Amino acid sequence: MSVLELPSTREEGWRWSDPEGIAAAAAMPAGAPVDPAALFLDLPGARIVVRDGVVDRDASDLHRVTLAPVPASDHPLGRQAAGPGWMLHLAEDAVAHPVQVVHLASGGANHLPAEIVLAEDAAAQVVETYAGAGWSNRFLRVRLGRAARLMRAVRLVQDGGFVSLREEAHLGTGASLVTTFLGAGAAGSRIDATLVAGEGAFAEFGGALLTAGEQRQECAVAVRHAEPNGQSHQLWRAVAADRSTASLAARVEVARHAQKTDGEQSLRGLLLQRTATVNLKPELEIFADDVKCAHGATVGELDQRALFYMQSRGIPRGRAQAILTRAFVADALDRIGNETVREAFAADADAWLERVL
Amino acid sequence: MNMLRIENLHAEIDGKEILKGLSLSVKAGEIHAIMGPNGAGKSTLGYVLGGRPGYDVTEGSVTFDGVDLLALEPHERAAAGVFLGFQYPVEIPGVSNVQFLREALNAQRAGRGEAPLSGGEFLKLARAQADALGLDQDMLKRPVNVGFSGGEKKRNEMVQMGIVDPKFAILDETDSGLDIDALRIVGDGINRIMRKPDKAVLLITHYQRLLDYVKPDFVHVLADGRIVRSGGAELALELEREGYAGVAA
Repeated sequence: MSVLELPSTREEGWRWSDPEGIAAAAAMPAGAPVDPAALFLDLPGARIVVRDGVVDRDASDLHRVTLAPVPASDHPLGRQAAGPGWMLHLAEDAVAHPVQVVHLASGGANHLPAEIVLAEDAAAQVVETYAGAGWSNRFLRVRLGRAARLMRAVRLVQDGGFVSLREEAHLGTGASLVTTFLGAGAAGSRIDATLVAGEGAFAEFGGALLTAGEQRQECAVAVRHAEPNGQSHQLWRAVAADRSTASLAARVEVARHAQKTDGEQSLRGLLLQRTATVNLKPELEIFADDVKCAHGATVGELDQRALFYMQSRGIPRGRAQAILTRAFVADALDRIGNETVREAFAADADAWLERVL
Repeated sequence: MNMLRIENLHAEIDGKEILKGLSLSVKAGEIHAIMGPNGAGKSTLGYVLGGRPGYDVTEGSVTFDGVDLLALEPHERAAAGVFLGFQYPVEIPGVSNVQFLREALNAQRAGRGEAPLSGGEFLKLARAQADALGLDQDMLKRPVNVGFSGGEKKRNEMVQMGIVDPKFAILDETDSGLDIDALRIVGDGINRIMRKPDKAVLLITHYQRLLDYVKPDFVHVLADGRIVRSGGAELALELEREGYAGVAA
């Protein structure tokens, strides 16, 4: 399919990507439109409905969000989401109500870019939900000024197809970006991001990918510490059932003068069946000599001893598996600061467990 | 009537026979101590009764209140009133004690067709049991057994036993890892929760010292997968004096 023009899976950064899955999603026939009402959380602020890559102005409440062309990416997936998109630009010291974006796909391919630019000391929260079926491709450009703070939570709950997200973020001095993803739908996914952290910047980028059936989900993330005193945490949990595949590739790069960088990577996979696959690739590239970079990567199965312990206390095996699996992903979802959002994501994870176990 | 009846029980792990024709009957109101040297099959007996996967029964039968215990799933055995106190209680990161116990109790209640306890009712019960066993209330909120000392884990087992209030408890070396004070507290807990006319206990232990606090009605010596001698409480004292080699030979 020529529209894709994606790098070969022989290229290291794309080895776990799923171009066939994207092509199949792009070719999905038009389906019934999805009602976004149930997908918005009970939060004040902007509510944006995106139908097949187009902002539905009539159904949306834009608040401070504007619609305008977003500077393009040169990334193979990101550049396909070019042109007009949604933008959140906040001036110095501004604090916005949460922005909720619900992306509804109804078959075929859809693309949309977005841009979030926060000036010094500005703060914003963005919650995004992907639902429906088809190929949803997004590009997000983030620019955070000095001490600006952005919290994002993104849940992928499409019933089928594919969601590809390309994100490129620059964090200014002392800026903070916390992004948590939850892949708990039945669609394939690729979360592809590059974060550049400035002096003393704080970047948290992680989440939980839950896969089942033949599903394939992956994240490919690089955090670059370009200046000293930065902190980054990449905490990812992958749970794979049936014959599905979850892949986590997380990279930390520390530039030569980025001393006192504190980078943490925690990649953990859980196989619910032995036919499932979890790929983990923690990568460190450190050119500075006074840094702390902790990294851990483990794949395992549910602790049989814990399962029996719980059963012997009266908890049926399926329920015990669900409790242990839920505990396994809890670390990642607990990073969501807003309680309403955290509870909604937890409920999605529970619904996934209910379905799969 | 016998609450538990084990007849000619043979069990193996990975094809290796550990229990080799064990028979034992326990009536309501009785406390039986099972003593024996390392490797005799004491813990295996506990796990077989609890239904741990990998412990395969090749011969014999176990009936509990007239029901074929071996045909029940582990959680069904719990709902039927069987409690297995672990020698090494398992740590469960990310699951709080309160959540774990409430799930467990309500699952058992559901298995018996009883209504679930509300959060408030459950907390009241959990707090009372924790207090009775000298377990810090904060530990109820902490992940199950994570970061607990050996003694705290064992107390936590007894708190769990108090909450689910079983009919029959198999306590596998509940005394190991306890200091003298904790031993007394745990012993008191066993007496308080289980020393009742309609309940029974199988106390698996290496040593006599727990039996100073929990007086057994019967003592059995388990050696090489069989019960080789049975007697009253005095048998434990004899074992303490003369060792297993002298008594079991």
